[in-house]
Amino acid sequence: MTAPALRARAISKRFGPVNALSEVDFVLDTGEVHALLGVNGAGKSTFIKILSGVYRKDEGSIEVGGEAIDCRDPKEAIRHGIATVQQHPELVADFTGYENIFLGREAARSGLFSRIERTDLSRRANALLKRFPVDIDLSKTVAEMSAVEREIVAILQALAGDHIRVLILDEPTSTLTEVEKTVLFRLLDTLRQGGISVLYITHRLEEVMEIADRLSVFRGGRMVASMPVADVKAKNLSLAELMLGEALDHVFPPRAEPDAIGETVLAVRGLTAAGAFSNIGFELRRGEILGIFGLVGSGADELAKALFGAIPVEGGSVVLKGHTIAPRSPREALKAGIFLVPGDRRVEGLALTETSIFNITLANLKRASGAAGILKRAGNRTASGEFATRLSLSPPNLSMPVSGFSGGNQQKIVVAKGLFAEADVYIFVEPTIGVDIGARAKLYGLMRELSGTAGVIVLSSDCDEAHGIADRTFALYKGRQIAPPDGLQTRNQLLMAGIMGELHRD
Amino acid sequence: MTDVIVHPSVARLDTQKPKNGLVSRYWLLATLVFMVAVFAFLRPQLVDSSNIATILRSSALTAIMILGLTWVIAAGKIDVSFMHVAALGNMTTAYLLAGGHGWLVAGFAGVSVGAIAGLFNGLLVAVMRLQPLIVTIATGGICASIAAALGKGTSIRIADPGPLGDFIFTNIGPVPVIAIAVAVLYALSWYAQEKLTFGHYIFATAQSEAAVDQAGVSVRNLLMLLFVFSGVMSALTGVLLAASLSSGQPMIGSSYFIDGLTAVLLGGMMLRIGKPNVLGTTTAILILAVLVSGSALLGWADYQRQIIKGILLLIGVTVAMRAVNGRQSQHPEAS
Amino acid sequence: MTRTFTLPAGSGRFLAFLLLVVLVATAFTLAEPRFLSTQNMSAVTRHMAANGLAALGLTFVVIVRKFDLSFAGTACFAAMTIGYLIALGQPLWIAIPAGIVVGAAIGAFNGVVISYFRFPDIVTTIATGSIAAGLAFVYSNGRTIFQNFMSSGILDLNDARVFGYSLSFVFLLGLYAVAWFFMHRTRYGASFYATGENPVAAYYSGVPTRLYTMLAFVACGVTCVFAVLLILAESGTADTNEGANLLMPAYAGVFLGTALLGRTSVLATLAGTFLITMLLDGFSLLGIPFYYSDGVVSAILLAGVVFFDARLREFLSDIGSFLQPASVKKEKRS
Repeated sequence: MTAPALRARAISKRFGPVNALSEVDFVLDTGEVHALLGVNGAGKSTFIKILSGVYRKDEGSIEVGGEAIDCRDPKEAIRHGIATVQQHPELVADFTGYENIFLGREAARSGLFSRIERTDLSRRANALLKRFPVDIDLSKTVAEMSAVEREIVAILQALAGDHIRVLILDEPTSTLTEVEKTVLFRLLDTLRQGGISVLYITHRLEEVMEIADRLSVFRGGRMVASMPVADVKAKNLSLAELMLGEALDHVFPPRAEPDAIGETVLAVRGLTAAGAFSNIGFELRRGEILGIFGLVGSGADELAKALFGAIPVEGGSVVLKGHTIAPRSPREALKAGIFLVPGDRRVEGLALTETSIFNITLANLKRASGAAGILKRAGNRTASGEFATRLSLSPPNLSMPVSGFSGGNQQKIVVAKGLFAEADVYIFVEPTIGVDIGARAKLYGLMRELSGTAGVIVLSSDCDEAHGIADRTFALYKGRQIAPPDGLQTRNQLLMAGIMGELHRD
Repeated sequence: MTDVIVHPSVARLDTQKPKNGLVSRYWLLATLVFMVAVFAFLRPQLVDSSNIATILRSSALTAIMILGLTWVIAAGKIDVSFMHVAALGNMTTAYLLAGGHGWLVAGFAGVSVGAIAGLFNGLLVAVMRLQPLIVTIATGGICASIAAALGKGTSIRIADPGPLGDFIFTNIGPVPVIAIAVAVLYALSWYAQEKLTFGHYIFATAQSEAAVDQAGVSVRNLLMLLFVFSGVMSALTGVLLAASLSSGQPMIGSSYFIDGLTAVLLGGMMLRIGKPNVLGTTTAILILAVLVSGSALLGWADYQRQIIKGILLLIGVTVAMRAVNGRQSQHPEAS
Repeated sequence: MTRTFTLPAGSGRFLAFLLLVVLVATAFTLAEPRFLSTQNMSAVTRHMAANGLAALGLTFVVIVRKFDLSFAGTACFAAMTIGYLIALGQPLWIAIPAGIVVGAAIGAFNGVVISYFRFPDIVTTIATGSIAAGLAFVYSNGRTIFQNFMSSGILDLNDARVFGYSLSFVFLLGLYAVAWFFMHRTRYGASFYATGENPVAAYYSGVPTRLYTMLAFVACGVTCVFAVLLILAESGTADTNEGANLLMPAYAGVFLGTALLGRTSVLATLAGTFLITMLLDGFSLLGIPFYYSDGVVSAILLAGVVFFDARLREFLSDIGSFLQPASVKKEKRS
């Protein structure tokens, strides 16, 4: 028997006190499409980053084609035949597909002053297309291309080095439509037949069934299962169970008492934004938390931004405390009483070199200042200090740049900013990404506390989180709302609705 | 952040690419033809052979000076030291000639200081990754200062313009030899820009340095090369100007600052919309030269030309903005 | 994250700056005792005024992370506008506001096309600066204007003294004080900083980022008129080239200040401008020819930007961290 395309033995990786990966054994056979599954933080992206040379492993060994390798950077991994296509590949927008595929390899000799032989280039392009037939027009510029076309350009770019044996795809389908996905899968099929092994990270189970030969499941930094896809069907295994494992119920605060639920704060009807989501409707009542589970590309992020006025909607209505609102900017949304705790806090939430006080007061500068716009420095410090105490901000230093805080504490500052803004509805997007477990419990507790006085919506790609924190949930799947009349009662139902777009009965 | 050239926002790749129609590709060339026609109609002297020679000669010198600058800006950086580097090359040459050295030594030294200045810019921008505008404002100021110091604040006379003087003032028919030389130089540059990996990577760098680096091409080396080349070409123009003017002029740079940048940026509005390129630069230089000559014949004041140049530049930016329109995000945060 | 090993931050940096000033002053005084004379000190303060005013407006633009290369041209145009109106016999209270309106209008034009229409800032301001510099010639065909200057009272701006200091210096300090208060003590200043620091987060916090970007250009257009007004008052004539020399010192002041104090701010610009003016003055007192002045300013600017560059600081702090216990090091990286 020949050696597998890639074999990893007992890979471990630590980040500070956190065990990101513990003793992972992994085998990738020649010419197979191997799906890597796991919830957020399960360790799958750490694992592929080690394979592709971005991180270095602490322990263990990696073999490619039976030969041990130790990659210090991505270039070395590519030399050993392992190519990776990032989730958002770097491409030159104004260049054609061909030009991007052969970027850096246009001429026979590498270097700055080699003649680009257009005829030779098109011959090579045709040869490549012969190996991997795709029915897209590669003479368009990337700027003109759709998401799947760009993904394919990135894959072909990775494969243009003829020696590539292993291709790693990091969630390639997160932003693709159904039709686009078939185009991609056809290409993966060709790769498989060409003897190239594909390691394929995804959240979507139905895709695994459709394209993969084998699958491996990561949970809590360990690989908990690895089996042929056929076995899943044959043995009727629940992948959801494998992915989720024990629920972390203890970090979540108790659910709302039925008599604590009050009047409707926010009513959304038929909300639609082209290309993102359509016909979303729900009611949010005081005292309860609404959880929305949606993967990347499900439209969850867009829904939050649409409610916050940051992206335009085509149809539907939003009624906040009895008044119909249609915010055209976050400024208007804030005035109306909606606050967004954005998913990417470093980009959308914080001015990183500024202090906590600066950031906390930013969304309600009117409150932070008195006559002639003069800041109430003492008052703001006191208010910020109170929030810091309430949220256990650590270190409780209000004058230090927020870049110096850990992820969890940065998130607390964003939440404090929301508290200072005194909104009627708080929308949390991916509230605990990069937040350690202690801070998570604190944040969840605060959401529960907030729900006593305001409406709280939590949008998350973490099914456990959406299910654990919320009193009521629904899922978003490719822009569609998946919600039965009586709600999604169990974690499993919610998971299936979000990753398959189906309603299941346990 | 600060943009030197107009480029589409990468976040919105999915929207339609503009149709680079004939009008937007060639309006600059049409403007040139139109201007020549109008001025020639009003003042036939414009197309006298002696006047044509003057226009071509001055254009040729500008063209050498900003060839490197064209590519620096095309790669998404900026260099505002070029005119002072030219002045430094000019004064170095004049200083050495006045000190009794021959043209060979003086000219070589003049070009060398340009290479050093370019190397310096390249190190600061490409290796240390400092903001190119600030860096080149500073290096430009230093060059201007040294240039002035060489002549103790005034110009240096050159007794013998030497072989370069003959070269610059020799015409074949109405066409100066130097214009032919520059035409050849630009043809070669066009070849390097369009047919070699060199130009290919310049335009790629402007859009995504990460993509170019990932493809195994060193953006750092490319930018170093571009800055050194820009320095050398500017200084070379300084040496030629020394021969042409029979003197070293420490303040000679200032007059080229606006013209040089206008030519490059205006040229960037032709052919490759929003991307400086050598053919566009050539056209724009000729437009500016015809404008200067024609308006002088009409008796317009210097300042009127300057206003027109500024407006031309604004029109150019507007055309480029219209070309990339529709690629823009609807939200102000995407800038 | 510990901040112990980076170069002094915040107040530490300010002390470092003061130390630098003392060192420079001591060096100059040793070389030329006249440096500390009242006469020279008042010269330093006067020279500082024009450069400092131009740099103040640029500070706003740099805080919102843009560049303005037009204000020198704007200053020329405004100077000639004021000169023209004075020559026509208009009183100062008409002539000076008219100049300010010119500056504000050009600044507003820059601001609108750059922030609302997203024109590239460098190219656009080069173009408008060039147009403004051309327009400066319109009133007199480029000839120097001096009529009525003596009788208009504009020269008093130069000669007037308040508490023994020239009026221009007092005006400079006053305007800086106002600007400092505005930027650091009002919600509007916070909005400026938020816009520059993270426009997306600012937009998500309800800050009208485009408006503030535009206002920064207006501020730059207005303060360069203040600057050129002082030059007018000092020279007693309006010349088409009057504002051309404002560009270099303004950039040097802003970026040297940023380098010294760690971030762009009103105080940083004041510090940068002060240091540059002092050095220039000291060198000219030592008899160093005028043509070195641009070189000196440039070299200081470059040294500031290079040696205070964040990456270089990080590099130096990494060297420092070798001397520290490993646990501290780890904390720093997290």
